[in-house]
Amino acid sequence: MFLLTVLSASIIAGSLCGISGVLIARLRLSTLVFAIAHAALFGAAIGLFLNIDPLYTAMMLAILSSVIIGPLSDATGVPSDTLAMVMFSTYNALTFIFIFLSPGPTLAAEKVGGILWGSILAVTRTYLAVLVILAYLYALVLALLWNRFQSILFDRRLAEAEGVNTRLYVYLLTILSGVAISVSLKIVGGFLVFSLLYIPAACGFTAENIKRMILLSALIGGTSGSAGVILSFILNLPVGACIVVTATVIFIAVSIYAYIKRKQKTVF
Amino acid sequence: MVLDPAVELRNVTTIYSGENRPAIRNISLEINAGDYVLVTGPNGSGKTTLLETILGILKPVSGIVKVFGHDMVRSPYKARMMCSYLPQDFMKKPDEPFKVREIVAMGLASKRALGRLSRDDWKRVDEVLKLLGIDKLSDRPIGRLSGGQQQKVFLARALSRDPKLLLLDEPFSSLDDDSRRFVADLLYKLNRKGMTIVLVSHAPPKIAGLTMRVRLVDGCIAGVERCSS
Repeated sequence: MFLLTVLSASIIAGSLCGISGVLIARLRLSTLVFAIAHAALFGAAIGLFLNIDPLYTAMMLAILSSVIIGPLSDATGVPSDTLAMVMFSTYNALTFIFIFLSPGPTLAAEKVGGILWGSILAVTRTYLAVLVILAYLYALVLALLWNRFQSILFDRRLAEAEGVNTRLYVYLLTILSGVAISVSLKIVGGFLVFSLLYIPAACGFTAENIKRMILLSALIGGTSGSAGVILSFILNLPVGACIVVTATVIFIAVSIYAYIKRKQKTVF
Repeated sequence: MVLDPAVELRNVTTIYSGENRPAIRNISLEINAGDYVLVTGPNGSGKTTLLETILGILKPVSGIVKVFGHDMVRSPYKARMMCSYLPQDFMKKPDEPFKVREIVAMGLASKRALGRLSRDDWKRVDEVLKLLGIDKLSDRPIGRLSGGQQQKVFLARALSRDPKLLLLDEPFSSLDDDSRRFVADLLYKLNRKGMTIVLVSHAPPKIAGLTMRVRLVDGCIAGVERCSS
């Protein structure tokens, strides 16, 4: 039963990260989301310090960062990319301070390891329930507003010129990505969550249209998650690292397949 | 009842961030509903900046910009729903995955609640594709098309919205002679039906039905000429 819970959680978290990765890459928001990922890590460290579930504090900080980066950039006149890097460095420093200050022996605690490189033990039924609800909400927002998002993903400037409030929708996508990152932290860990966003997305970009890109990326994210968990059980290795290594192996296989397909098209 | 002008610019100056020199300076211009305006001028004279300032994509540092009475700095979205824009830098990379029919539909979707299109909307999309002679390209990814074909796709997107104000930035730049004549003729007909058109071009073909010519030099209006039909 425990393995089933962990597998389900890893499939959902992996798929959410896969979907977010494609959206972020298309919108060129990588730096922004990099900062949000570290905001989530900082949130988890606060949770550790306060002895409350890191999932909720990670999510709060990720959402807060998603919401403030844009207006902060507008107010200060500092480009959002640069501001994101400032926030990333600050969050990193604060993460280490709060981990250092957290109760128990520093860096030896299971909890600390859990937020930095992921832990199967952190996956509970409550966590799975939260994950299912969030995944449902994520899918609902995406399905309801897909035509709006699609126009922004194609050409943000033109969508804006046609009367779409692109800033609002991009904030929404950033928040959704922040949520996906926060919920994946427990399994993959703060150091590796970014890989789970981008490796499946890199595979997804070999597909021919945007919907297939998203589906392929979600599929590879979910597969990497579940296969990584099984690998972790068998080899007794950190789960986050196993998931990312699995994703990388899939990426290499997909790249070789895409290369051969491209060559065949060129020959015939 | 006095109708608002389609476009009203009063002492408008726009400066790109990081630049000291204004891209357009102290521009005042009134374009009435139903006008067909050609904006000309050498490279870097501020033609594209003028269009994007009208749409509110670029915010002026001073002056007032109104489209159909809506202030484009404070509340641009309502007015933009009534406009269509054909950008100058439309070319997409070869790996762009979106298909022609989807792209044209996006233009219409931005006018609909939640972007949802009805059967009639899709019919409209197909009609416009046919009108521009690109219906056979419907299922092709845009990145695989030539520059001229891509420009027609973006023009189809603009027209699918049935705009009250059509803003075109160098709409003939990638078209062959036959297509230029066809598009010029189409624009003339649309203007006769009441569409306000503002067309920017540094080397326009012969255009029938113009009601106004505006010449920009160094970001300033060098001349405005009302044309008699």
